[in-house]
Amino acid sequence: MITREEIIKQTNEALAKEFEFKNDQLVPTAQLRDDLGLDSLDAVDMVVVLEQKFGVTLRQGYDLRTIVTLNDLYDFIEKLARTHHK
Amino acid sequence: MDDSNTVVITGMGAVSPYGTGVQALWEGLLSAKNCMHTVAELEALPMVNTKVAATVPTTDYSFIPRKYRRSMSRMGLYAYCAAQEALHQAGYEVAPDQLGFFMGSTLNSISVWLELTSYSQGAHLELIKTSDFLQIMNHSPLAAVCQALKINGPAMGGSEACATGLMNMGLGFLAIRQGLVKQALCGGTEEYHPMFSACFDIMQATSKNSNDNPAAACRPFDASRTGLVVSEGCGLVFMETKQSAQERGVPILAEVLGFYANTETENMAYPSADTLKKCMEGALQAAQVKPAQVDLLNAHATGTVAGDIAETQAAHAVFGPNLKINSLKGHLGHTMGASGTLESIACAEMLKAQQILPTHNLKQVDPQCAPLQYNTQVTNAPLHIIMKNSFAIGGNNCSLLLRRPQ
Repeated sequence: MITREEIIKQTNEALAKEFEFKNDQLVPTAQLRDDLGLDSLDAVDMVVVLEQKFGVTLRQGYDLRTIVTLNDLYDFIEKLARTHHK
Repeated sequence: MDDSNTVVITGMGAVSPYGTGVQALWEGLLSAKNCMHTVAELEALPMVNTKVAATVPTTDYSFIPRKYRRSMSRMGLYAYCAAQEALHQAGYEVAPDQLGFFMGSTLNSISVWLELTSYSQGAHLELIKTSDFLQIMNHSPLAAVCQALKINGPAMGGSEACATGLMNMGLGFLAIRQGLVKQALCGGTEEYHPMFSACFDIMQATSKNSNDNPAAACRPFDASRTGLVVSEGCGLVFMETKQSAQERGVPILAEVLGFYANTETENMAYPSADTLKKCMEGALQAAQVKPAQVDLLNAHATGTVAGDIAETQAAHAVFGPNLKINSLKGHLGHTMGASGTLESIACAEMLKAQQILPTHNLKQVDPQCAPLQYNTQVTNAPLHIIMKNSFAIGGNNCSLLLRRPQ
């Protein structure tokens, strides 16, 4: 099963490519909206690229309000990956 | 005419196959620098006869914030650069309140459309991103530039194929005259895709006898011409009343004297000389200018056999044989929706320099083109008034008159 370290690495790679972030911006405590500047349209596109990256469906049950920081995002993907693996 | 109602141009912005900026456009035209090249995608299509196009040089647009760039296909990026240049020349760091914006294109981004259809063919509709849709709306470049440069007045995108740029200048001119806005950015934008060349090729409107010599592919008025070369870019002008420009103390680049438009209803692709004649006469009447006062006609003349003949016959009927006439399509190719504005910008530069650009690649005038004063080299001449024509497939014709600042 995919490790948390691998989830963080792949998530950061996908976000850096899609939204042109530099690596030092992608710290776990970074807030998606306030620190990284992602708006509601970016959030939709973020779901698309992460779904492609991990081969899971994020959009059902996905609620941006519960995912504030990058760490929240890693948690969410990890939980989905575990469910998917079962 | 009441001077306060005179509409003037105080800013110009250009992205063309000569690069970014009005200066690059003017220097490229003056030196007749070649910007035409063969296109690999066309060379791979044996049924397509034309292999040549002119495209904007590869440019790094990462200076445009991603938040705005995500909604821009190439034609949006061109429009951003042209709008910013025109605003700066007009003396603005940020767009003035209630600035009008009139801009369109022939088609929207074919490249982005093809990406979208590739998703649907694979039934992977879930891969569509919001930015894909925001790039292929009919008014995407208009909307994206409004967001990026905070243009908050009325924004309308007239779309009339090859006449789009000049039609939008006419719209802006009328909007200022009617008091809808005090100031307006107006023009057209376009991005090249080989599909454009292929479609015009099917209509037998493209250049096909100079694939081994791209620089000579487009030859308006010349006896050996076979058609147009598709090109791309964006031209925008900043218009306002003369009174507004004088109050702000900004230099006036040209006055817009009058505008007229009509529609050919007999054939979508072949304009009649009579309809074009009425269009030019309408513009003269609107501007209260006599034919003898016009020093130069900057023709639409794309290098097609039928179009050049009809336009010169119409011009001869309106102005007589002493009219000086040129076309810039031999230099630039046909920048489609951007052509009317990019060529109007060149007209403003000709008025400033008091120089008439030649029709590039014109060696021997087609005897079927009406006898007019064609020039084949840069010529110094007193220039006060220039008429600019744009005619579109679909039958949409327009003419606009520019005058050297008084």
